Amino acid sequence: MEFFKKTIDPVVAMVIVGLLDIFLFLVVGAWTVGGGETMITGLIAKGILGHRLDRIPFWVQDFKPTFAYWKMYISLGMFFGAFVGAVLSKEFYWRVPRHLNEWVMITIGGLLMGIGIRLAFICNVSTFFAITPQINLGGYLAVSGIIAGAWVGSWIYKKVLEA
Amino acid sequence: MHNDPTYQLLASFFFASVVGFLMQRSRFCNTAALRDAMLFKNYRNTKAMLALMIVGTLGFTALMTVGAGHPIVFEVGINQFIGLFLFGIGMVLAGACTVSSWVKSGEGNVGTMWAVLFTFVGMFLFSLYWSAAYWPPASATMSQLPNLKGLQLGVANAATLQSQTGIPAIVFGLIQAAVLAAIYYKIIRYERAAEQARAGAQARAEAVAQTEEATAAAIGMQRGKQTAGNR
Repeated sequence: MEFFKKTIDPVVAMVIVGLLDIFLFLVVGAWTVGGGETMITGLIAKGILGHRLDRIPFWVQDFKPTFAYWKMYISLGMFFGAFVGAVLSKEFYWRVPRHLNEWVMITIGGLLMGIGIRLAFICNVSTFFAITPQINLGGYLAVSGIIAGAWVGSWIYKKVLEA
Repeated sequence: MHNDPTYQLLASFFFASVVGFLMQRSRFCNTAALRDAMLFKNYRNTKAMLALMIVGTLGFTALMTVGAGHPIVFEVGINQFIGLFLFGIGMVLAGACTVSSWVKSGEGNVGTMWAVLFTFVGMFLFSLYWSAAYWPPASATMSQLPNLKGLQLGVANAATLQSQTGIPAIVFGLIQAAVLAAIYYKIIRYERAAEQARAGAQARAEAVAQTEEATAAAIGMQRGKQTAGNR
């Protein structure tokens, strides 16, 4: 399995992804992740809360939990594809963050990502690889936002690493 | 056929499996594309991101010119800036964006699984707020028309530009692709200059080391002569 051990040049890999993305745009819509994650959240919440979830308007009006939502399968597919790639190249092993401050940063980071996606109605994938290539003017706003955010995040990250 | 849900689900699952595989094998990460460029001046992932954006721009706008494809009907609003600003901070802190969190989870990274879990928590918390207030934009404010009170500016993409101006969407796509390509080219030029500077510095360091060695050897020889003379 030597073939699978070689690291692919990211530029080559992303050009292939770009061509596939065009195909997906033709059949269902461009690559996006945030919507699918929201639907998974809804399904989990439905599993835990049952009918009580209907009291929250968001899950009735905007995202009615259903398994027939194509964007959800993008998240699952990426997980599956990466798992296969990692197993074939013998790179699969459990990695657990060691320090408490890593866990704290990941927790806050995850929360901010979830809130940010729902506030903007888009995630980073739809920003860079779906709406900006469609010349949606919201894409330019979103790109400026994510660059500013990544700058602030990098600053915090550096401070935490130095501390 | 295109509206058959099973077909859509299979297409997206197949697409994403290949993407996940390629991302895992190329170690591409969208967070790193921004973070590494800012913190370490490393552009490995930034170039890949730009390449994908160029391919996407040309492909999408070409299809939109003939009215094919499924562009997202999506309102331009200030919430996009604020939301992605929060997202940008979050992805650097978590060390993974929406894609790499799934890809790294597939590699067995427990930290990114935790990040995904808390993304879900964040989304759920936000859904509670959404019910309490009608800002940020909800169905009522997102009417696809400019609505300044809801800070919404209406839908504008390559297709609407084409129908409003009469200029084919691909023209806008070519302009955007050219801008992205110019950024890509600038990065390559920067990398070459940095490479040359590094090679130059190394050559200088070697030259200095050589002269020092020669001097040391010369001094050693002199000392040798002196000791020989003293004897």
